[in-house]
Amino acid sequence: MTRLLPSVNALRVLAAYGAAVLLFVIGEWVHPGFASFGSVTSILLVASFVGLVAAGQCFVILIGGIDLSVPWVLNAAAILLVTTSLGEDGRALYAVAATLGMGALAGLANGIGVVWFGVPAVVMTLAMNGIIEGLALGLSGGMTCSTCASYAPPVIAAAVHDVWLGIPAALWLWLAVIAVVSFVLSLTRFGRVTYAIGNNARAAYLAGINVNLTTVGLYALSGLFSAMAGILLVGFGGQASLGMGTPYLFQSIAAVVIGGVSILGGSGSYLGAAAGAASLTALVSVLLALNMPDYGRSIIYGVVILALLLLYGREQRE
Amino acid sequence: MPSDLAIRPHAGPAAARCRPPIAHALGQNAGLILAAVILLLCIAGFAAMFWLQQQRLPGNFEITSTVNNTMPLALAAVGQSIVVLTRGIDLSVGGVIDLTNALAAIWLTGSVLHMAGVSVLIVLIGAVAGLFNGLLVGLGRLQPIVVTLATLSIFQGLAIRVLPQPGGAVPPGYTDVLVNPNQPTALVFLVIAVAGWMALRRSRLGVGIFAIGNDESSAVALGVNAMRTKIAAYMIGGALYALAGLFLAANATAGDATTGDGYTLSSIVAVVLGGVNLFGGRGSAVGAICGAFITTMIVNILFFSHINPLYQSFYEGLFLVIAVVFGALIGRLVRGRR
Amino acid sequence: MTEAALRGMDASASPPDQATAVAAIKVSKSFGGVRALRTASFAARAGEVHALVGENGAGKSTLIKLLGGRLPPDSGTIERAGQPLRLAGPADAAAHGIGTVFQELTLLPWLTVAENLLIGREPRSGLGLIRRARLAPQAEAMLAGLGIHHIDPRALAADISLAERQIIEIVRVLIRQPRVLLLDEPTSSLVEREVEWLFARIRELAAQGSAVVFTSHRWKEIASIAGRITIFRNGAEVGTFTGIDEAEAITLMTGQHVATLYPARAPIPSGASPALELTDASVNGGARISLALAAGEILGVGGLAGQGHRELFLGLFGAPPLRHGSIRIGGKPARIASPADAIHASLGIALVPEDRKSEGLLLPLPVRDNLTLPILSHLSRLGVIRGAVERRMSREMIQRLGIRTPSAAQPVGALSGGNQQKVLVGRWLLAESRILLLYDVTRGVDIATKHEIYELMMRLAAEGKAILFYSSDTEELAQLCHRVLVLRDGRIAAELTPPALTAEAIVAAALHDADSDNAAIRGATGDDAARGAAGDNEARDAVHDEATRGAVGGNITARGADGGGTMRGAGGDSVAMRGARTRGTHAE
Repeated sequence: MTRLLPSVNALRVLAAYGAAVLLFVIGEWVHPGFASFGSVTSILLVASFVGLVAAGQCFVILIGGIDLSVPWVLNAAAILLVTTSLGEDGRALYAVAATLGMGALAGLANGIGVVWFGVPAVVMTLAMNGIIEGLALGLSGGMTCSTCASYAPPVIAAAVHDVWLGIPAALWLWLAVIAVVSFVLSLTRFGRVTYAIGNNARAAYLAGINVNLTTVGLYALSGLFSAMAGILLVGFGGQASLGMGTPYLFQSIAAVVIGGVSILGGSGSYLGAAAGAASLTALVSVLLALNMPDYGRSIIYGVVILALLLLYGREQRE
Repeated sequence: MPSDLAIRPHAGPAAARCRPPIAHALGQNAGLILAAVILLLCIAGFAAMFWLQQQRLPGNFEITSTVNNTMPLALAAVGQSIVVLTRGIDLSVGGVIDLTNALAAIWLTGSVLHMAGVSVLIVLIGAVAGLFNGLLVGLGRLQPIVVTLATLSIFQGLAIRVLPQPGGAVPPGYTDVLVNPNQPTALVFLVIAVAGWMALRRSRLGVGIFAIGNDESSAVALGVNAMRTKIAAYMIGGALYALAGLFLAANATAGDATTGDGYTLSSIVAVVLGGVNLFGGRGSAVGAICGAFITTMIVNILFFSHINPLYQSFYEGLFLVIAVVFGALIGRLVRGRR
Repeated sequence: MTEAALRGMDASASPPDQATAVAAIKVSKSFGGVRALRTASFAARAGEVHALVGENGAGKSTLIKLLGGRLPPDSGTIERAGQPLRLAGPADAAAHGIGTVFQELTLLPWLTVAENLLIGREPRSGLGLIRRARLAPQAEAMLAGLGIHHIDPRALAADISLAERQIIEIVRVLIRQPRVLLLDEPTSSLVEREVEWLFARIRELAAQGSAVVFTSHRWKEIASIAGRITIFRNGAEVGTFTGIDEAEAITLMTGQHVATLYPARAPIPSGASPALELTDASVNGGARISLALAAGEILGVGGLAGQGHRELFLGLFGAPPLRHGSIRIGGKPARIASPADAIHASLGIALVPEDRKSEGLLLPLPVRDNLTLPILSHLSRLGVIRGAVERRMSREMIQRLGIRTPSAAQPVGALSGGNQQKVLVGRWLLAESRILLLYDVTRGVDIATKHEIYELMMRLAAEGKAILFYSSDTEELAQLCHRVLVLRDGRIAAELTPPALTAEAIVAAALHDADSDNAAIRGATGDDAARGAAGDNEARDAVHDEATRGAVGGNITARGADGGGTMRGAGGDSVAMRGARTRGTHAE
């Protein structure tokens, strides 16, 4: 029996949220205080970084693509932000604009490579990752440049750490992103077109949709979100560091898939991906709370993902 | 016979419609041939650059160290290409190499017999890792990219458990056998790998692998057991990644549980440069080996051209895109002529 | 090429061995909510040639899939020589001596012809390894033994033409000497000489005692080779006959009197400037064509498949645009570089493409989404879709066209073929398109819906829409259109208007010089024409097939897009016995 729910498979999304809740419950059980308000919000704050990257990843996965350039777009964004703002609030706006622009540009290049030159998404974004890595390292002298050790401007740090109504600002930002992205995907033309392309690009083309333009736009969005995550991360941590983007690649993909988005494209929602990001971060936190050593965390992380996939991640029979 | 479908063109014998076999061989192996050509160009370029710097052509030392350094990637690329041929992908390559590398560093001691046995055991462990992947993909019907993403994490964890800090030691004798620092004898192992590939292509399993990559439902209709074929493909991949881990340990003479991480993406790059189609059904493991060597050659060329090493990734990424675009153009030209 | 020559052996002579070779007993099969077979029974005897006929959706293809092991029945049994079977797949069926050529070809595109032919039974060396060097010569010998000399065994399956692929698919089954041979629409892509070849092979097999079952829409073929004919309607058998004539068969197949199928033509409003003018365009890089289409006119396009129709229709829609030539819409020059341009309100062109499942509809998405896809910009304010407006418009269109669906939110993939087609047409009505390019819109549609679509076309024309209509059914063209242009080789070979507009005339103009055309079809240039736009080899890889080579009036059945056994009628059946009849008359 084929479960042909349009676009959003509500059950998968619910399962993803259920998993997150379950993990918090388990956490509270093994480590009382885990599920306290403060604890939950700080865990979700960490999850928001994954969540932001997952937003961009979600967009491209929905059309059957993928973005492997996340690590270095994120890292380059962090470096660009600190070196452009030099820690000064006055330059913050300009720095943020330049950084987001860089991310969008990288994504644009990815999109053009995929659409115009027919390079498979895996290859194009992988190559772009390398290109950006080379540029970032080269231009910053391996992060030894004089300005590289700058801190993020205080306003950005505040934008991450300030607490309104008990919730960190960055988390508010993520909630806003969840709302906006979900809205766009389910209620706007752009969202409808994205699902159409992910389902059948040829049919979408013959219905008058500009598949190429939309595809390029989606990759640009992905780059934008990676850059955004980089800015917030450097606001969170204070300084940029080498390799800070690496964990976010596989985590963003895992979050999206756990959230019920089909890796083949055409179905799923960002609501689910956000839940996926929350679940994964909660899982890691629970394991940390259990004082589980490094290797155990890795192993259990992988096992849990597999378990969730087996539960509801199976693709329909081809 | 009047019922013969012997419709001949008005001029020339029936065979004139058929193109000469060589034309077919060229067209159908365009990816491999292109990879070989690019490799030769890279070797030539490297030789030229080397000569400009050192006033001599690359000698035994350079060749040996290049071969030894490339062995792990070449083997990993062969394994990845077999998985990719089934229209899958294996992101757990790095994890398996981490694990086997760590095990090798700890277990390779004692007599020759002991070390040989340990090596076989490690390869088997790699195969078991592949079995795990294969069951999830073939039996569980999960998508390869997400399955191997998760198992990567599992294998990495296991590797760290085995060898929490870089260490261990690989006896020099072992290193001499696998990656002899004085002669490029490691090439022998590559020759064996190629022979193995040629045997695979001529086996029922090999035909099944190509069939599934072409069109799984048609392959099943033709009697191919999709599940068993996929499991076998991932197991072969796993065994090869384990071998790569052994070569890596032999080359580095010590173990490191995270040293294999980069091989995941590098093996994909090597496979792509080798002309293997990421959507399955087309390509050759020999191409993947070429792709691995191309990768190393590019690094060497960049080194000898005194480019700021910080920009290395930039040129590698650029090269990858250009190579793929170029290859696609050539492929279209070759087939478009028909 | 007369019927006498084709008849050859009288295959309907009672074979000495009356044993039932293969049978389906009270089998049922449903897909989603639709019952494709309802306790149907069928039996074929050893040594006979048995035809299965029926219109689209009658269940023929599904029955073949059950007998061939591709699908299991929901209930009932399949028997082979009296023994019940549970087949695990076509390979399992092959082990029981049942060989099937399904409608969806199972050639592996990136393997060579030789590799495809010999898969599973490759020549091996002492070590058990395949001797690759022997593949091509052995395949060549096999092909020659069956009388085929023109297909290169070293070519990739993706690089040979559709007809050649069909032949190789048939050969692959024949070389296993099946005791039961099942063929689902085997001649849909073949020209006459190839059909002769196939029938000769069928007769040989039957003479050796094998049972042959095949489905077809071409009455001439059925009459020439079939011994018994089983008629299916609505998922069950109506009866098995020998010596039935076409008219009787049609009545039994459709259950209704045929004469009321086509509605009356409305006159074209006079004086209006042409809605669409095409001047000096080239569809195949060679000859140029020009045409003019008036508002309220139904202009038909006929001819053998592969003569440029697809390029013409896609070109007028900008997908991709035509090389050379100019287009005027409503008297004003128009630049159509993409479907978005064509759809734009200023031009108002719509295309209902050939393969609705792979080119038209987004199957998992709701009916509503599919209906409103091209007009989303109009339905949106600042990018946000106005849900209430969308729901109202789609509800109205569903009612207007009588689309049978539980709700507008139902995934369109769950609808029947006819209703899916209505959704596609409804989409363009919602878009208020003024020029409709309808490409084989009745393919794979049952007769009741066909009638509805004809009436709709007439109504739309009466409302002033301009319709360009391609059909592989010459009778449809003759009955529905005000004028018909017959394409040959990218040129307009003839323009037919009533009273000269008859199915026979269309066929005549299309074939013109049958022998040289057949040779041309075989030769290089013909192949290229048959393959669509020059160099467009990538299109072959796409799910939508290039136009097939069925003779005009036969039923052009390009391979249905991924049937996978889930879609009714396997997406490929279409009616038109009348087409086949006209082909017969021409030949005589």
